[in-house]
Amino acid sequence: MKKNWWKILAVVLLVFTVVAGMLSEVPRLAILNETIRNLYFHVPMWFGMILILLVSVVYSIKYLRNPTIKNDVIAYEAAKVGILFGVLGIVTGMEWAKFTWGEYWSNDPKQNASAIGLLIYFAYLVLRSSFNEQQQRARISAVYNIFAFAALIPLLFILPRLTDSLHPGNGGNPGFNSYDLDSRLRMVFYPAVLGWTLLGIWIVNVKSRLELIRQRLYETV
Amino acid sequence: MKLFRILAVCCFILFATAGIQQAQAQVAENTATTVAEPEIEMADTLRQDGKIYVVVVVLLTVLGGMIAYLVTLDRKVTRLEKQMRD
Repeated sequence: MKKNWWKILAVVLLVFTVVAGMLSEVPRLAILNETIRNLYFHVPMWFGMILILLVSVVYSIKYLRNPTIKNDVIAYEAAKVGILFGVLGIVTGMEWAKFTWGEYWSNDPKQNASAIGLLIYFAYLVLRSSFNEQQQRARISAVYNIFAFAALIPLLFILPRLTDSLHPGNGGNPGFNSYDLDSRLRMVFYPAVLGWTLLGIWIVNVKSRLELIRQRLYETV
Repeated sequence: MKLFRILAVCCFILFATAGIQQAQAQVAENTATTVAEPEIEMADTLRQDGKIYVVVVVLLTVLGGMIAYLVTLDRKVTRLEKQMRD
């Protein structure tokens, strides 16, 4: 039980996110209205994705330094959960955009760049599934994973900032500037990011352990 | 497993159609009662004595269900790990 304290923390934070996220006071902004509460559910998907993909890259580097099955399995499972978070992030973003920007997809730089980023990671899954030999698969996909992460960071955080974008934090968007500093939002937002990320890490934890058991079963049989 | 999938698809279709019907009904209502409002509208009354708590309960149920599922998965894997060690 002592080792599992962070899973309990994840549950507590997520319950807090849902209750406080729905009932707390939020800034009154035109166009956004109550949809500002999506901040607690849409944005943590992307924060969670970046953090979980970072875990994946760390284990890929660890694999290249010390090629064990465990490092490879964790890198792969973390990448898959990171991609799941990214897909949820882009879908929730589209739903939110429909009612605030007017279109599900308005070819906004932030939307396009995150779509490209996700495609790079889909290619990781395809690349990985195209090898039969375990060591070759693990090594080449570890190298690709490092490049994919290095490409994702400028796509999400640098390129959209160089042009005008509807997305807050990129170009001018007066609707959001006042919330960037709002402490009421931060009170729920930071716990939400931590809670959703821990939930992702938990899924990675369970899936990697299951995969390791499966591999050991094949070894012994 | 197959039965579960069919059940899930049926549930999804049922809820989706119910949702669309309700949304269409609301659109009809809204167009009937639009008044020019200078203030920024928020769901104030909804949160006071309205039904926002229903949403909170539903979200908590979904979250609870997901987490309960993850907990049982976690336990199954732990049991397997113990069996492998023996």
